[in-house]
Amino acid sequence: MTDTPRTLAEELRTRTDSGLVGLLRTRPDLLNPVPGDVTQLATRAGTRASVVRAVERLDRFVLQTAEALAVAPDPCPYGTLAALMAGDAGDAAVAAELPRAVAALRAQALVWGPDDRLRLVRTARELLTPSAAHPSPTGLGPTVAEATAGMSPGRLQEILAAAGLPTTHDPVSAVAALTALFSDRVRMAALLDTAPAESVTVLDKLLWGPPYGGVTDRPAPHLQWLLDRGLLLPAGARNVVLPREAALHLRGGRAHHTPEPLPPALAPATERDPQLVDNAAANQAFTALATVEELLKEWDLGGPPVLRAGGLSVRDLKRTATALDTTEQLAAFWLELAYAAGLIASDGEADERYAATPSAEEWLQLPDHQRWAVLAAAWLPATRTPGVVGTADAKGRALAALGPHLDRSPAPEVRRRALTLLAGLPPGTSVPAAAVRARLRWERPLRGAGPGARAAAAPAGGTVPAAGAVGAPAEDLRARLAQWALAEAELLGVTGRGALSAHGRALLGREPEAADATAAETDAAAARAAALLAPLLPEPLDHVLLQADLTAVAPGPLRRPLAEALGVLADIESKGGATVYRFTPASVRRALDAGRSAAELQEFLSTHSRTPVPQPLAYLIDDVARRHGQLRIGAATAYVRCDDDALLAEILADRRAAPLRLRRLAPTVLAAQTSPEQLLDGLRAMGYAPAAESAAGDVLIARADSYRTPPRTAPGPVPDGPPPPDRTLLEAAVRAIRAGDLAATAERKPVPAPAAAAGALPRTTSAETLATVQAAVLTQSALWIGYVNADGAASQRVIAPVRVEGGFVTAYDHTADEVRTYPLHRITGVAELADDAV
Amino acid sequence: MCGRGARPSQRPAAGKRKARRVNGPLIVQSDKTLLLEVDHELADACRRAIAPFAELERAPEHIHTYRVTPLGLWNARAAGHDAEQVVDALVQFSRYPVPHALLVDIAETMSRYGRLTLVKDPAHGLVLTTTDRPVLEEILRSKKVQPLVGARLDPDSVVVHPSERGQIKQTLLKLGWPAEDLAGYVDGEAHPIELREDGWALRPYQQQAVEGFWHGGSGVVVLPCGAGKTLVGAGAMAQAKATTLILVTNTVSARQWKHELVKRTSLTEDEIGEYSGTRKEIRPVTIATYQVLTTKRKGVYPHLELFDSRDWGLIVYDEVHLLPAPVFKFTADLQARRRLGLTATLVREDGRESDVFSLIGPKRFDAPWKEIEAQGYIAPADCVEVRVNLTESERLTYAMAETEEKYRYCATTASKQQVTEALVRRHQGEQTLVIGQYIDQLDELGEHLDAPVIKGETTNAQREKLFDAFRQGEISVLVVSKVANFSIDLPEATVAIQVSGTFGSRQEEAQRLGRVLRPKADGHEARFYSVVARDTIDQDFAAHRQRFLAEQGYAYRIVDADELLAADEDA
Repeated sequence: MTDTPRTLAEELRTRTDSGLVGLLRTRPDLLNPVPGDVTQLATRAGTRASVVRAVERLDRFVLQTAEALAVAPDPCPYGTLAALMAGDAGDAAVAAELPRAVAALRAQALVWGPDDRLRLVRTARELLTPSAAHPSPTGLGPTVAEATAGMSPGRLQEILAAAGLPTTHDPVSAVAALTALFSDRVRMAALLDTAPAESVTVLDKLLWGPPYGGVTDRPAPHLQWLLDRGLLLPAGARNVVLPREAALHLRGGRAHHTPEPLPPALAPATERDPQLVDNAAANQAFTALATVEELLKEWDLGGPPVLRAGGLSVRDLKRTATALDTTEQLAAFWLELAYAAGLIASDGEADERYAATPSAEEWLQLPDHQRWAVLAAAWLPATRTPGVVGTADAKGRALAALGPHLDRSPAPEVRRRALTLLAGLPPGTSVPAAAVRARLRWERPLRGAGPGARAAAAPAGGTVPAAGAVGAPAEDLRARLAQWALAEAELLGVTGRGALSAHGRALLGREPEAADATAAETDAAAARAAALLAPLLPEPLDHVLLQADLTAVAPGPLRRPLAEALGVLADIESKGGATVYRFTPASVRRALDAGRSAAELQEFLSTHSRTPVPQPLAYLIDDVARRHGQLRIGAATAYVRCDDDALLAEILADRRAAPLRLRRLAPTVLAAQTSPEQLLDGLRAMGYAPAAESAAGDVLIARADSYRTPPRTAPGPVPDGPPPPDRTLLEAAVRAIRAGDLAATAERKPVPAPAAAAGALPRTTSAETLATVQAAVLTQSALWIGYVNADGAASQRVIAPVRVEGGFVTAYDHTADEVRTYPLHRITGVAELADDAV
Repeated sequence: MCGRGARPSQRPAAGKRKARRVNGPLIVQSDKTLLLEVDHELADACRRAIAPFAELERAPEHIHTYRVTPLGLWNARAAGHDAEQVVDALVQFSRYPVPHALLVDIAETMSRYGRLTLVKDPAHGLVLTTTDRPVLEEILRSKKVQPLVGARLDPDSVVVHPSERGQIKQTLLKLGWPAEDLAGYVDGEAHPIELREDGWALRPYQQQAVEGFWHGGSGVVVLPCGAGKTLVGAGAMAQAKATTLILVTNTVSARQWKHELVKRTSLTEDEIGEYSGTRKEIRPVTIATYQVLTTKRKGVYPHLELFDSRDWGLIVYDEVHLLPAPVFKFTADLQARRRLGLTATLVREDGRESDVFSLIGPKRFDAPWKEIEAQGYIAPADCVEVRVNLTESERLTYAMAETEEKYRYCATTASKQQVTEALVRRHQGEQTLVIGQYIDQLDELGEHLDAPVIKGETTNAQREKLFDAFRQGEISVLVVSKVANFSIDLPEATVAIQVSGTFGSRQEEAQRLGRVLRPKADGHEARFYSVVARDTIDQDFAAHRQRFLAEQGYAYRIVDADELLAADEDA
């Protein structure tokens, strides 16, 4: 007996170092801060927050095992557990997998003790044990002993009698006898054989949970039959519960309806030629690069403004989607991808706009496969999820692309896991997304920090209606993350036709499971992937085919300088594997505007065309060039007109005219860069006699104009004090003063004194409060507290604390007659009650 | 040509990994166009594979553009091709992996065809049945379908008013659920017609066109001008061996049809009737003009009874791209008869191509102009755009002209007149047509060139006389207005000079080129000049007009009028 550990701490102490390392790896929160000794480690491993985290990370079968342990006697022999999991009939798969589950629980310090005395740590037990508030996923109710606690001894004996058992001396033995009857398959079967058919139907209904049902004050005979024999036990007013032992008998001993010892298969698998998959993925990778490049080009002269709350407005998203020729949902993905890769960002100016970053310039210069590596390395560990763009968060705010609140921390783990699952299949094989989602759900049934799990984690009282440990929205997020991950992988060309490509495999790295891969490792993996991808990407071409119908076809991707130049010279008509350009007068003019000459353009086309430049195209360029720049536009603020050319020449030659910045446009016209007034003054100073001209060409008569303000009102007098009050005002004032006076001095009815002593809230320091409450938990005594609720209303309450944890007191509130949770910082003080108070 | 190095001769699938990717002649674009590299060794095989479902849109020298449309896919279904063949064709010949979404879309579109069928029910007449009940429910809810159908027979079928057979097909097509028409055709009144192939035979492509049409039941045959569409009509009549109604654009064309039919078939002069403004004969083969059919008197079309006057077994629509809107309506009522549409240019500036397809039938045969030219059945043509610099005063007048007068002014300037005359002089001795839009311009030209002018007011007798004289070589220059745009058979014309046109009409340009495309006795090249005023709206219209031909591979040369005149003076 000496070598059997009595506590978790003692057992942990006996574990090997590698065992402890394993524990700390799976539950890294225990390391923070590093525990002082094993006792501390054990204590911390037993805290609620830590246990919740650990439980959330269990896979479905291990979780089912833990749930079964929670409804089993404590400590529980392995045999009993195996029976609960596999049922009376036995189940080979469960029997095979159960040791793994128990070992996993033990490794995580959720279970300890030798095989004949398995113990679930107390916190985990509390978390998973069924109660009225937290129905267990097993659907089992409380045990006979728990359900009959507080039942009168007389009633117990009646039940014994009805069930055909001999009476006993005391309630304890009575409960034991009833439990023994329910657990005995043979006797129980005999008892149920005598049950009326309707009663059996009721039992069948409650069998797999929830085990609670309602009854009226005068139950129907078939319910009465069950109540009489203790097969239904009262659970509060008008509620009954099917005791656990009875349910287990009816279930053939199984704690779970469907134990799932093995993960769901990834099926149906579709096999494709791996080369086909790689090619499809490479094609998509190329499209991804083209799309991001197009986005950068679209935003080249500055992107849309940043919303005040951050992110891109819906209209700008729509516009970007149109520019990229895609849907808004996909546009959000490309935007977020470019953002994650550091290619676009906000410029941080006063009127904030999005724009390409300097690294975008570098990115554009990289070879295709390296550009893909940058995107892939940014995508894999990103927590920002474009999938939620367009939906509203919990507070009803719409989530904007590139905006805040897009981070979903489980995203990278889910993404990596989903891809790893695909990596586990033979090359070229794809499975439907639903199969991947089902597998992920099996692996982390509770994960996703859903409300259900959170409710279990928070020290919630009975007032929180927890529907179960698994919350539907949490499931949803994880499933949606998986869905998005697969869709994005396809868009990015990591997968092709739903199967992981060769470069996708390389991207996951040598240890695909290592979700905590460092940035450097990810980059290295991405580089390896890019090396595999490189030969699959189409080779950029350096030529186009020019045709007489004024189109040019690039039968593949073009080298960047060529693509850029051609993009200016011609309009893109069709995109895809090839690009079709059309030359129009407008597009040629654009190129001329960009500073190219007609000769350069002709030269450019003949260099990059494998065929002679068609004559109509050459003509088009020459024709547009001939007229380009025929009209010249400039700005001048004033002009000098004179019929005498010589006089104008004289003015131009005069040095004093230099500040007027004159330029001769025509023999008789000078343009100036100064205002007409300055020009007049300047010329007069030079000794000329210029006259001003109106817009219509008339000579303006120069006369000193009087200057006037717009219409204004004259200022009123400003007297020393306030104006003397008039009579009406004075009378009203006196009436108001009298009324106020009356209200203040009127005699009041006495207010009834508060029920508690002196009416004042008890006041204690927070340390005292904590100590007193903790003591009360141990002694199970009641306390008198002063409490200020969230609205600031103070009240006094009598409570019987049950648990103190995480700054909260869970207590039975005598005043409200229910279990409630109080934050410690809201308790103004506590006082112990006189013994006779409750 | 784009030299992709040595191309392995085996099929793409057999190539090496990298080779396979770059090997195909076809590039599938995301906007559902297909680019076919014509100089590729697999181009012909590829063209054959994609022709059933893709429309040839442009055929310039290096890369031909095809477009995949729902209509094309449904026609392919109607012709017995399934989605798998279409996808196979794309995947097999594509140079780059075909976007998956596009393949899915093709399969989805094709699966919409045939869920609804029009069948002849012995008891209820014309019945629309479905294999997919929700589709029937969906289309019956449409307001446009409701007036066309009668009683519901059972959950899967509904009676269709026999008169609405065309309407309902058109409406269902617009709703995206094309109906397969299995109701068949009436045979019509039998009448013996045979081709008399003495010393000539149908050309292979004409034969193919006739077969394609007959196999499909109804439809449109697209052949270049001068490629012998009349013979395709005659061939179809010989297949039908039934009374035939032929609808043509004008009386001259009607006479030419009659002449040709008497010459090439067993039909005699007496068996062929002309139904036009002047004559109203109804014979086993009747040739009617669109004009007489669409004449409206007191709000009714008095000549409509022609359609019911005999039990026609075949209706031929010549120049189907000109089909006037009222004829569309009558045609909708003629769905039980075989219909053959003939055209060189199925481009309508009013965009009603799809109405032609849904009412007359899908395109059954189509040959690129350059292909027929290569086979030697039409003359090669040298298309030249002559750019005329306007004089300063002309430019000023042009700049100040009212917007709606601008085209007329720049199209009829004296500078153009001069250049046109110079061109005619240059080709002295060759049979030359001068074609224009504006009568006063033509009259003036006729006067200067001392050539007869044929215009709207010229009587048919006079027209025939002049055309005959031209064919005989008695006159070498003929000035014609747009009355000569179509169906005028002038085999000896070798030079056409276009001085003005109906704004930017693409099909008019093609038709005018067609006037000189009949193969020449000495096999020499035809010349087509388009005289255009530089830097005016005339030039913009010309660019638009040339688009169809440029897309058919006719590369226009541009010549400066000044250079041309200078060269002439030197010579």
